Amino acid sequence: MVFWRTLSVAGALSLWWLSSGTLFNPILVPAPHKVAVHLWEMTADGEILFHAWASLRRVIVGYALGSVLGILTGVAVARIRIAEDMLEPPLQFVRNITPVAIIPLAVNAFGLEEPSKYFVIIYSTIIPVVFNTAAGVASTPQIRVRAAMCLGAGRWDIFVRVVLPSAWPFILTGLRVALGFAFMGVVAAEMIAAESGVGYLIMQSRNMLLPEQMFSGLFLLGLIGLVTDRAFQFTIGRLMRRYMLQTAAFD
Amino acid sequence: MSWRVLRLEGVGKDFTRADGGVAEVLRDVTLTVERGAFFTLLGPSGCGKSTLLNIVAGFEGATTGGASLDDRPVAGPGTDRTVIFQDVSNALFPWMNARENVEFGPKMARLGAVERNERAEKYLRLVGLDADGGKFPFELSGGMKQRIQIARALANDPDILLMDEPFAALDAITKKHLQVEFRKIWSETGKTIFYITHDIFEALLLSTHLAVMTAGPKAGIKEVFQLDLEEPRSPSNPDFAAMYSRVETLIDEEVQRMRAR
Repeated sequence: MVFWRTLSVAGALSLWWLSSGTLFNPILVPAPHKVAVHLWEMTADGEILFHAWASLRRVIVGYALGSVLGILTGVAVARIRIAEDMLEPPLQFVRNITPVAIIPLAVNAFGLEEPSKYFVIIYSTIIPVVFNTAAGVASTPQIRVRAAMCLGAGRWDIFVRVVLPSAWPFILTGLRVALGFAFMGVVAAEMIAAESGVGYLIMQSRNMLLPEQMFSGLFLLGLIGLVTDRAFQFTIGRLMRRYMLQTAAFD
Repeated sequence: MSWRVLRLEGVGKDFTRADGGVAEVLRDVTLTVERGAFFTLLGPSGCGKSTLLNIVAGFEGATTGGASLDDRPVAGPGTDRTVIFQDVSNALFPWMNARENVEFGPKMARLGAVERNERAEKYLRLVGLDADGGKFPFELSGGMKQRIQIARALANDPDILLMDEPFAALDAITKKHLQVEFRKIWSETGKTIFYITHDIFEALLLSTHLAVMTAGPKAGIKEVFQLDLEEPRSPSNPDFAAMYSRVETLIDEEVQRMRAR
């Protein structure tokens, strides 16, 4: 319902507006209209775009690498016994270490420049992709594989035409979760060690007491996350629709 | 491939149980299925019928003995034997529409697009779904999905169809129609059928040969019948009714034997 949605947004903005200057110090927590003006100025002078693109570029590189590595590793874990034995223990251990905690190590190992950001994003991406891919590959219905065998499919055909398509809904779920993780990773990394990016923008505004800029950064994060997730969903809907049909087929 | 008989000789199958013990499911099963027969294996549930079918399909190896076509032993799955599974939603490829499903076997045989398409059309027509080739499995009812699976198997031109209770999950009306239609398809295509069911009525309606199994564990063959029943077969025919009660008595004996253990 459009009405309730509008009311919800208006309500949140009103609460924010009312609390600034009453509950919170208006210098530290500025009112929404001040943030809006600042956001407009930052957009006009291109600063927003500069930082947004810096973060986005890092995510594109790290997420692409992390996704490919994650899918390959997940397939290996599910299909190759030795790979499972060798990779499962370290993965089960490492998955508990949050990407934020890995940032100091990333900086020590890969320096203050781009590679450390890529490392953090790859790390954030790879874990959900590996586990979802492995689960998807392993959960291919046995009789579907057997049916393909009866119909003359060899090992390669079974993998490419039966196992992988059966696993796509799982893999795509992993990729979608990983996309969110990638942004969390990049922002955290930029807050600790960077000269650009949305995370840097937010941290800098705290250090330099620019609360309007801080809110602009937060708004930007929400917006980028929303747009990329929608873009992801749209692309999946276009390219992978037939593989998503099977979720409806489990009757 | 030309062959005359499918033979099961001294087939036994053991499984390792979860507690580490050995479960003897099948013991010394010997059967002969002539080419062109509609051979049905009937038995109480849990007696190892599906295990036997899996051995013929080549999905599982026998612990003792084995299956062979003439004197060629079954060593693994092959395009000469196609299984029709009961769980059709998982057996079909849900990301392919009906036509693409049917074309899968011809595609694996590396046939050209034109020939693949001809085959698909031919067998979709045979199962009465020529207008539904563009539909995906989730858009089809259980009975229609099972027709697609039958068409997909036939498009691959196997010698034998191995059918594992293919109609058991369908509603009574759909089941009845499919049984009648499938018998027609069998007589038109001349395929050998190795059919599994626990439904006596279905077995008598469809088969030329009927093997009744003993209850597991260590299940074997209790009795084999050749069914020369009056056509068209109907439960109201005297010979059908007599055969029904005869088979039912055998099954009841087995169920009671199983309970007594």
